[in-house]
Amino acid sequence: MPRDSGELDAALVGLLQGDAALTALQPDGVWLDDVPPGAQRFVMVAVLEATDGATFGAGRAFEVVRYRVTAVGHTAVVTGPEIRAAALRIDTLLQDAALTVGGYPAGVTIARLGRVRLLEVDDEDRSLRWYHRGGVYELFAPN
Amino acid sequence: MAILTGRYGSVMYTPGTPPGGVEAEIISLNAWKADFSADYEDVTAFGDTNKVYVPGLPDVSGSLGGFWNSAELTLFHAAVATVPGTLKLTPNKNEATFFWEGLAYIDASIDCTLAVPKVSGNFKAAGPWTGPDGNVL
Repeated sequence: MPRDSGELDAALVGLLQGDAALTALQPDGVWLDDVPPGAQRFVMVAVLEATDGATFGAGRAFEVVRYRVTAVGHTAVVTGPEIRAAALRIDTLLQDAALTVGGYPAGVTIARLGRVRLLEVDDEDRSLRWYHRGGVYELFAPN
Repeated sequence: MAILTGRYGSVMYTPGTPPGGVEAEIISLNAWKADFSADYEDVTAFGDTNKVYVPGLPDVSGSLGGFWNSAELTLFHAAVATVPGTLKLTPNKNEATFFWEGLAYIDASIDCTLAVPKVSGNFKAAGPWTGPDGNVL
């Protein structure tokens, strides 16, 4: 029976959600794929790419998942230094993390491939901006 | 009969020493390639209207590839063996009677980067081989 790859997403999101320091910096939560309306200071997680490594006999031997993990904040409620601190907290939690994940007895490891930093103009008020800071993280999961 | 995926291929190996070794699958591999091409001697003579060749014996050599797995050292043991082992290459285990098999010397290498470490090996025949119809090549 194949492993439930959704457990990988849940483990990464759960790690971020369970950190009080990150919650204090980004109080609107950690979200995968979508963010609720009204959120202005949150962590966004998105799966950029997921590939499987296959071998003869064993079938799927491992999974490699690349996530974009960014602290997102609206300039109405957050400053650049605060978003920077949130991105650093994300990196502290994820860089070289070794997680225990249900259904993956060998555990998983995470490392950053590169960082993300961009400024987005607000659609409704062009005098305001959205900060996005964080990184692209690669999760390696032996099956 | 149908065209089947290579996903269920296999590489089996029986060490040459001790005699009567146990055949086992080399795990964590995901590729093999075998070459049976022959050398050709040019025998073109006066009066021929095109070049003419005569084939020599077919080669039997090839390569194996996959991922490094610390639980699987067969390839590296085979690489230092002084006695050839028996290699059995099957394109798809769901057609388990179709395979190439014979004695072979194998070498091995490992390529370790920040990505998943990969192993590979090359083999050369050390005796007669049989093909997928059971006949000597």
